[in-house]
Amino acid sequence: MSPVRYWAPKTKDEALSILKEEGPRARVVAGGTNVIPDLRAKKLTAQSLVDISGIDELRCIEKGEGSVQIGPLTTIADLLDSEIIKAEAGLLGQACRAFADPLVRHRATLGGNLANASPAADSAAPLLALGTDVLIESAPAGKRAVPLEEFFLGPNRTALGPDELITGIRVHSDAHLKKRFIKFGLRKAMAISLVSVAVALRMEADQVAGATVAFGAVAPTPIRAPWVEAYLTGKRISEESLAEAARIAEWEVSPISDIRATSEYRRHLSGVLLRRAIQSAVKEGS
Amino acid sequence: MTEREIEITLNGRRRKFRAKPNELLINVLRDRFSLTGAKYGCGLGECGACTVLVEGKPVLSCLTLAVSMDGHDVRTIEGLGGEKLDPLQESFLEHGAVQCGFCTPGMIMTARSLLDGNPSPSEEEIREYLRGNLCRCTGYQGIIQAVKHCNEKK
Repeated sequence: MSPVRYWAPKTKDEALSILKEEGPRARVVAGGTNVIPDLRAKKLTAQSLVDISGIDELRCIEKGEGSVQIGPLTTIADLLDSEIIKAEAGLLGQACRAFADPLVRHRATLGGNLANASPAADSAAPLLALGTDVLIESAPAGKRAVPLEEFFLGPNRTALGPDELITGIRVHSDAHLKKRFIKFGLRKAMAISLVSVAVALRMEADQVAGATVAFGAVAPTPIRAPWVEAYLTGKRISEESLAEAARIAEWEVSPISDIRATSEYRRHLSGVLLRRAIQSAVKEGS
Repeated sequence: MTEREIEITLNGRRRKFRAKPNELLINVLRDRFSLTGAKYGCGLGECGACTVLVEGKPVLSCLTLAVSMDGHDVRTIEGLGGEKLDPLQESFLEHGAVQCGFCTPGMIMTARSLLDGNPSPSEEEIREYLRGNLCRCTGYQGIIQAVKHCNEKK
């Protein structure tokens, strides 16, 4: 492994001033579950590691007005243990249950899962479906908020500048929504999803008053599916509307073929999983 | 490469060591402290053979930088029991949960953390919690039984 220098800031401000000095030479590391294997495989080079795992102020879950604000260093295990997440961001909680294994969950952080920007990141689809702002800070430029849709630029590429740090993740509350996350992998544990889908529905009687749908692993970044959303809005859930929504989803995604599956299979799967997610959300996804 | 002085609580004792920023916790444990219970399996966080407890939670020591452990409490399989074996180790023996033994330290450390938080887990909870620890001998039945019945007797 390459790194020559190691920093362990204890506060956010300290981290930001280190990043300002080190700039592109630096790599931020928190749980290390992505960064360490990548460094060892030489997929990643860094002269300087900025280990932010000791910054306690960035590890928190707070309930706001119609939203939840999550510190980037909150681990997946923290999210699973949180009553606030259960009540206000249940869709994210569902995704955390499918996330890797308990060993990884105790180290892997929500900020890291987003900053790594895998198209298959398990936390991305639920956060996209709920509507999320990534709060970013740098010493020279101060704070900005980036909608998650604009945060992901491509596989492992984000809007994060070299001197910038994620300082918060603000997600809309899903307390009043019907929702379901489904991850389809080739085995139960430690699988990278072939396709993941997150559905959040606002129901009025048996009619969909509002729908948000997001997919993982079917495009260069996790994506929203606006055509599916527009179709579902105002519909009753029936065999016909489910079939049509699935058809639109198959058209709307743009997956690749790789060692895990072909593009055709992922396309088909997107429709199947969307249908299952909607059915399950309406039935039991309080 | 600048070394840093690191102080940890290792199996209940304060220990100091110097480490380079790219040294992994597993190598420090095995090479400096001769604690060879934690095994280097995949090096990718897939197999769980390197599991140790940090602040009581199971952590993959092959993906953890040694320098990041400064000030933390680290426990390995060697520090689990005292004069006698830990009840979970006894239970592993009793239920024939050890075949080749390579995965055993990791299995026991993860299961210890589960039992500390949930003294009588269901079989499903055990399987879910141990899903990141692989047994290449596929001796899972014995392992699950050992964890399940660990707190039953006496």
